[in-house]
Amino acid sequence: MSSPDLRGGTAGNGGATPALDVRSASKTFGSIRVLHDVDLTLAAGELRALVGENGSGKSTLVKILAGYHMPDEGTRIAVGGREVAPHHAGVSETAGLRFVHQDLALVGALSSVENLGLGRGYGNGRMRPLAWSRLRREAREAIGELGYHFDVDRPVATLGASERTALAVARAVSPHTSTARVLVLDEPTANLPGPEVEQLFGLVRRVRDAGIAVLFISHHLNEVFDLAESVSVLRGGEHVATRPVAELDETSLIELMVGHSVERHAGRRPSAAAATVLSAQRLSGGSVQRLDLDVAAGEIVGIAGITGSGREAVASLMFGAEPAAGTVTVNGSPIPPGRPDASIAAGMGLVPAERATKAVMLGHDVAENLSISRPKDFVRRGSMRRRLEYQAAAGWLEKLDVRPREPRMPLAALSGGNAQKVILARWLRLQPKVLVLDEPTQGVDVGAKEDIHQRIEEAAGQGCAVVVCSTDNEELARLCGRVIVLGRGLETAQLAAPISADDITAACLADTRERSPREHHH
Amino acid sequence: MSITTEPTAIDPGPRQTAVGSGSRLVRRLGIGRFSGIYVWALLIVLFAVLVPETFLTASTVRSIGANSAVTSLVALALIVPVACGLFDLSVAAILGIAAVLVLDLQARGLSAGIAVLLTLVAGAVIGAFNGFLVVKVGIDSFIATLGMSSVLAAGAFAVTNGNQLVAQVPSTFVTLGQGTLLGLPRPVWYAVAVAAVLYYVTERTTAGRYMYAIGGNIEASRLVGIRVDRVRFASLVTSGVLGALAGIVLAAQLGASSADIGPAYLLPAFSAVLLGATQIKGNGRANVLGTLVAVVLLATGIFGLQLAGAPIFISGLFNGVALILAVSLALRANRQAA
Repeated sequence: MSSPDLRGGTAGNGGATPALDVRSASKTFGSIRVLHDVDLTLAAGELRALVGENGSGKSTLVKILAGYHMPDEGTRIAVGGREVAPHHAGVSETAGLRFVHQDLALVGALSSVENLGLGRGYGNGRMRPLAWSRLRREAREAIGELGYHFDVDRPVATLGASERTALAVARAVSPHTSTARVLVLDEPTANLPGPEVEQLFGLVRRVRDAGIAVLFISHHLNEVFDLAESVSVLRGGEHVATRPVAELDETSLIELMVGHSVERHAGRRPSAAAATVLSAQRLSGGSVQRLDLDVAAGEIVGIAGITGSGREAVASLMFGAEPAAGTVTVNGSPIPPGRPDASIAAGMGLVPAERATKAVMLGHDVAENLSISRPKDFVRRGSMRRRLEYQAAAGWLEKLDVRPREPRMPLAALSGGNAQKVILARWLRLQPKVLVLDEPTQGVDVGAKEDIHQRIEEAAGQGCAVVVCSTDNEELARLCGRVIVLGRGLETAQLAAPISADDITAACLADTRERSPREHHH
Repeated sequence: MSITTEPTAIDPGPRQTAVGSGSRLVRRLGIGRFSGIYVWALLIVLFAVLVPETFLTASTVRSIGANSAVTSLVALALIVPVACGLFDLSVAAILGIAAVLVLDLQARGLSAGIAVLLTLVAGAVIGAFNGFLVVKVGIDSFIATLGMSSVLAAGAFAVTNGNQLVAQVPSTFVTLGQGTLLGLPRPVWYAVAVAAVLYYVTERTTAGRYMYAIGGNIEASRLVGIRVDRVRFASLVTSGVLGALAGIVLAAQLGASSADIGPAYLLPAFSAVLLGATQIKGNGRANVLGTLVAVVLLATGIFGLQLAGAPIFISGLFNGVALILAVSLALRANRQAA
């Protein structure tokens, strides 16, 4: 393998031939058109951001470019003036399209040298020995050109986050079957701590300076303003606008993304009539830092934030599923972190986001999955009574309209919505003081979703303090009297009813602008 | 080690998943979950025809009973960790060291009662050490207990110096292991007693429910408040104690023991537990009744074949095939449910 040629201009760098020219890109799944005649043109050496809400079509577009999805008839893609039909990853690669996905696709136990050769070989025959000293030198050059200097023999798992990103980029842009012309970075900063983001930007600029067109996908609008020269906005599968960032400010960009003007609520708190049941102080763990949150009896509080904001860690921290710093109290009594049994004894219940891996017991029927939260309820004279279990389960299935109403079915055989209702009922039957829900309706059909929302409201109506963490802003707007918005692990906004989904979306996208140290550059 | 989750992470088989008219008959007869009993009946008929004069006798029943008792105890010991999604490969080695320890302690002048008690305590200590390795240190149970079984085998040789230990005859100890009660060898009754207690614990108590829940999904179990580490630790202590009990019963039954007596019991016991998991309950869980059916089925098959003149290696062959068949059946049921 040879190092990426970043200093010299590459072919296709000059003149009017765009590095990437996408015309009327469309994609239909079944009867649903998720991408609608999208045009996108990037000049060589251009640094373009691609933004849009969840479901706007960004990922679909990227997957079409990568050859993962077959686009609809009529879609035309040209790289460096040559038309390509990306049927699979190899075709895109050969055409000069390169990708770095969020998970980077590195093997942690292997060294940088070894990772650089994955999928592209080490420049020797299949059964020939590796030329280690040459490979090491080339690896050092490859990362050196991106402004990095680290030990290329260390296992990749021991490198810093931005070093790993650099390695993934170095591998992507290195000449393989062809010269790299376009680099697509899919949320490269999602897992990066603040200071390393700046380092990554330096790297991206170097790639751009080498004449490679960069398409940069990010949910962080401040990064769009700090890094990109121009920005393309997708909304509902359509290309809405492509503008130089200089012509936009944050508010106008958000308006392009959501499609109408946004009104920003901030900092309003609901009148605290009811007593506080759940209280978190300076709760830290995972990506969450110093979260303070009080939830009153009967209150439903939402936690919003883009992926990587800390939202995904809040439910398990509040419930005490994982070790954490800070304190959580229920009715004034502290909950020891990492001890779910103690949390449950204190009156808490958790509906986790990943149902299959964190909630459903394999080989257990619906009734058993329901009673497991407190099986002693069904013990009479020293013995568990199946009949009581099935009776109780039948009652809950009726109440939550679970179909089929068959307590003896294995829970794993139920559809997502029905299974989720059973997991919810697992806690509702204990009449918890606190209910923590993580993505309560993910992968759930519309009817079941409404049922679940009604049950959550009913529980709150009976005095339960409810926390709902969700990426579904419609859901939060529908349920919550108050929504806490997180960005980079910190609370960035607090919205109070009446809340619209767009308010939440806007607050999520605006997340870190005020806090970013990079702000001073502008 | 993916296999460690197989015995318990098996979704209900044909009983719940079968649909359509053809499978309705299957369900009515419970062919899936009672197949062991049907096969057993078939074997009895087969051997009754092949070797009528030797097979259909009271001594056949006694022999199968005597041969199955210790295997049943080892299999019952295994049910507990397997239900929790753990393997205890050291259970046969625990049997081995217990069988020599209980005789060695008596040879040193301790009474039978004290020797039995100390041997059971030794089983508990070994189980606790397994538990420590698996739960606290975090070693995969397959590896930890594999290592432990080698250590225990060495320990058994250290106790015996490679000699055979012989019990004092007559003694209370040997009497308890030999002779019959209500027409069946005494060890059979010990197995029945342990099975009864274990049946109650696994099927009728919250502890049993917790065990199966952990086997079904350990993280989900933790999140519903089950003290997962405690239950898993206790399950390995239990298999240690029951393994030691099996060794004690074996020593009393034979009136003698040697350091190499244990390992032969591992495979038959595992075959029985995994085959048993496809039986009776029909939900893929290691369970007491299914395990007993499987033990008796395997013992009948091997005994009948030997009567019919099959060579001595038939027992290993039969157990090995049963083990592979059991896991294949369970995987198929798993796929059908998914």
